[in-house]
Amino acid sequence: MIRQVIAALICLAVVLAAPFAVSDFWVFIFIEMLVFGLYAVSFNLLLGYGGMLAFGYAVFFGIGAYACAILIKRFGFDALSATLLAPLVTAVAGAIIGYFCVGLTGTYLGMLTFAFQMLVYTVVLKSYDFTGGDDGLSGLKISGFAAAPRGFYYVTLAVVALSLVVLWRLVHSPFGLALRAQRGNAPRSLALGINVSLHRWATFVIAAFFAGLAGALFALANHSVFPGWLNWTASATPIMMTILGGMHSFIGPVVGSIIYVLMQSWLTGQTEYWALFLGIAIILLVMLLPNGVMGLWRNSQT
Amino acid sequence: MAFLSAFELLNDPVVVIRQLMAGLANGMLLFLVAAGLSLIFGVSRIINFAHGAVFMLGAYIALTIVNAAGQSTGAFFLAVLISTGFTFLFGMAFEVLCLRRIYRSPQTFQLLVTFGLVLILGDAVKLVWGPEENSVGVPPDLEGIVRPFGVSFPVYRLMLIGVGIAMCAALWILLYRSRWGMLVRAATADRQMLQALGIDVRRLFTVVFGLGTGLAGFAGGLATPVMSIGPALHAQVLIDAFVVVVIGGMGSIPGALVGALLVGQANAFGTLIYPSLSIIFPFLVMTVLLIVRPRGLLGKPE
Repeated sequence: MIRQVIAALICLAVVLAAPFAVSDFWVFIFIEMLVFGLYAVSFNLLLGYGGMLAFGYAVFFGIGAYACAILIKRFGFDALSATLLAPLVTAVAGAIIGYFCVGLTGTYLGMLTFAFQMLVYTVVLKSYDFTGGDDGLSGLKISGFAAAPRGFYYVTLAVVALSLVVLWRLVHSPFGLALRAQRGNAPRSLALGINVSLHRWATFVIAAFFAGLAGALFALANHSVFPGWLNWTASATPIMMTILGGMHSFIGPVVGSIIYVLMQSWLTGQTEYWALFLGIAIILLVMLLPNGVMGLWRNSQT
Repeated sequence: MAFLSAFELLNDPVVVIRQLMAGLANGMLLFLVAAGLSLIFGVSRIINFAHGAVFMLGAYIALTIVNAAGQSTGAFFLAVLISTGFTFLFGMAFEVLCLRRIYRSPQTFQLLVTFGLVLILGDAVKLVWGPEENSVGVPPDLEGIVRPFGVSFPVYRLMLIGVGIAMCAALWILLYRSRWGMLVRAATADRQMLQALGIDVRRLFTVVFGLGTGLAGFAGGLATPVMSIGPALHAQVLIDAFVVVVIGGMGSIPGALVGALLVGQANAFGTLIYPSLSIIFPFLVMTVLLIVRPRGLLGKPE
């Protein structure tokens, strides 16, 4: 117990002190790890806990990011209230998309999220006056403490940590247990009196909320949004992070996010053809580490 | 006003017939790509995200051979033949090296492996052929325009329609009139049963995957004179093929034909009547269809 407390305190000290030991570039990398960590954990709520593979999941990240940017640029909101409202907008989108998805299973569910994603993507591309079309929106201003990269790091750290605590409590609540039960055996869960569709629907809404929050934070970290965040290839990112870290562990997707962001930023610095090596790395990792890094770690413990 | 005048164009039978034929030629290419995607999905339940990338690979190989061998009709058809053969072997090699090991894994793994291939091929073509857009001339013997019913129409597109019809017939004979095709259809229905009956299912899966990618490579080679060949080609092709397969019914080859003909016509008339809506329209159809009839027009219920 004492050892765990000490380990936790060391971790806390490291994440708090980290931004002062490194350059602005690395502060941005840390922010990216946190934001994508939250994004991937929210994705794993659907995949790992709910058993739903949404391969159009970037639609929620993108809606969160665009909602934040549009509220600031088109409606004159400040960054703080836009960040608070964007996840709510995304949760509404999650309620609409989820409503239609929860009735489907397997590939059809995934395909429908893909279809919604492409629908939103093309609408964003074509609504030039509102969304900036191909160019996206830039010049999102943040004022006060969070305007500096290190300030924004602490805000992101606090928001992500709080969100992870909420999500941790959620997956260990009766709701989380029921969600896992329906993943294992939906007909039996139904017979036990669990409202399977309602649980799946609520999971879509909650996951969308946190993905939207991550999207809004990422928009502010970049001071801009780009339509590429909504394109189909963007949906591979949370999937890769989740599988890399391990979908059978709550914190796995965060570990996956840290490794993925490190790997990508290192590769982009080494070669123009980083995607080539990333592709090779993904294929090798999936084939060699089927339970992710956390699975490897757990095996070494026993 | 632009809207009105576009509709007035439809009063002109020459325009209507021209668009019909253009849509038919485009639809035949789409059919070849989508049939491969649907064949692979039907048998192995794998959604090959790299299908567009294989199409692109086929197009680049054809481009290289035509550039090396000169602009002759013979060289062009040799190029298409080599593209087909190469992508057939490439698909089989990929299946043996990667996919074969993960059929029992969650769908997420298969998705990531094919996505890894998208990243690899996307960068590999940039590395080998450069980032610029390329074009291939129409083979000399197929240049020019014919005037059936007083409507001028390029000979090459007529040939595409002819090749498409011939391939439909060939695929139909292969799948519905040969012993091998019977095995493929049996594998689509129940792989375990087929294996229990003593059929070498592993080899069947390999050849089916190769046949699917070979069809994509064949379409890629044939498309070179009518498409601009660049590193972004794969995304549009994949998405179009997805739309076709969902409309027709995932796993259904006749469905792929119906879906391809519909999407081909929708593209041809959509760009004429209301261009900015025409890119949104296919996804709207895909979304609505997945909600009201997930198995598509001709797919079997799950």
